[in-house]
Amino acid sequence: MALIKIRDLVKKFGAHTVLDGVNLDLQKGEMKVVMGPSGCGKSTLLRCINRLVEPTSGTILVRDQDIMGAEVDVRALRQSIGFVFQQFALYRHLTVLGNVMLGLRKLRGMSRAEAEAQALFQLNHLEMAAHRDKYPSQISGGQKQRVAIARALAMDPAVVVFDEPTSALDPVMVREVADLFNRLNREGVTLLCVTHDLALARHIANRVIFLDQGVIRADDTLENLAKHHPNDQVRVFFGEKEGQS
Amino acid sequence: MNFFELVAQLAQGLVSTVVVTLVCSGTGMAVGLTVAGLRRMGYAHLVPFLDGFTYIFRGVPVLVLLFLVYFGLPSVGIKVGPLLAMALSLGLIAGAYLAEVFRGALDSVEASEILAAEAMGMSRFQILTSIEFPQMLRLAVPGMINEFTSILKYSPFAYTVGIAEITKQAMTLTATTLRGIEIYLAVGVLYFLIYRILLAGVHFLEKRYQVPGLGTT
Repeated sequence: MALIKIRDLVKKFGAHTVLDGVNLDLQKGEMKVVMGPSGCGKSTLLRCINRLVEPTSGTILVRDQDIMGAEVDVRALRQSIGFVFQQFALYRHLTVLGNVMLGLRKLRGMSRAEAEAQALFQLNHLEMAAHRDKYPSQISGGQKQRVAIARALAMDPAVVVFDEPTSALDPVMVREVADLFNRLNREGVTLLCVTHDLALARHIANRVIFLDQGVIRADDTLENLAKHHPNDQVRVFFGEKEGQS
Repeated sequence: MNFFELVAQLAQGLVSTVVVTLVCSGTGMAVGLTVAGLRRMGYAHLVPFLDGFTYIFRGVPVLVLLFLVYFGLPSVGIKVGPLLAMALSLGLIAGAYLAEVFRGALDSVEASEILAAEAMGMSRFQILTSIEFPQMLRLAVPGMINEFTSILKYSPFAYTVGIAEITKQAMTLTATTLRGIEIYLAVGVLYFLIYRILLAGVHFLEKRYQVPGLGTT
């Protein structure tokens, strides 16, 4: 049973079609990577999954439940999907610990002590406990990302989705991020990552999905996509990227 | 009666001045937060009323509104006490100004943080009270100080509805001693002292809740 099953997903903004019949399955415990050029609909795809963006048509099943139904509790759905944004979006007025505790206090109804214990557990797990009292402006980009991941994991989500996780980081951080993703995945965390960073994709996945102009054009290994794919556009995209990295 | 004795006499009105200032500031904060918060919640049908409120109350002189409330409402059977009349005039006008100060500060809250909170499953109200207001209050400090200072400086209008604040004491003392220059100089000194204490209080709170990378300092 797929944890997330997307069928014929279409999203239009006015006359502009951003997603044009996307099909995608994500199994529990899987780490899936979606790649594509800027503006291809990667971020919109992620935002449809937790209904930050309302799809125009198609179906999205999360744990076999159609999330498009009128009876769906959208806030509960969002709590089951951890979201790590491109710029991490940490709350500037809260400390590292406060950022991780907020959802536990407000959404899980935990006491301060319970939330603090759970938040510290996650921060320890991501080696950020020493920075618990710092504010977002006092930590580096890589550290911010770890806090954002701890914040997502603290809510015990079914899946964590990453929107361009390395775009705000120094290139030398890519390997570190990849190691972290692999470790989380080995521990059983299901991850869905959209990126245009080929170096990251190479370190975390054998196969990638190529999304272009709202359509999934390929689902294959990086080598096959770069060298053997029948579509010139796909070969060029991955070939050029290979050449650059 | 020397200058310091005059100040001591005037200080009898000090408590009333401080109470009027605090009540009107509290009313202004409550109204400003409510108006800015409702606008931020995105209730489209409320926006014309909120706009109307700020438009009207920012354009009406304090004294006119105070007289309307204190002397006008009894004619339709509504009797309002002096302090409540101050709250409903100066407090509401301050609220209209503060609502605009807060609106500007709310626009400085990062959209990405609001989106992250939505993605986490927080309700609009939770986002407002847990993310937007805490940041906005830190960003709005300069505007809030301006408005609290204005309230203090408009507080002498309270004497027109019978509150024996500093200015009222000064008028009484001047009538009996005919030493207007010294008395009103002393009034100025007292207001200046209240202003400095108010400012010190706000700066203390600002420092207490200061967050690196956020705010005006």
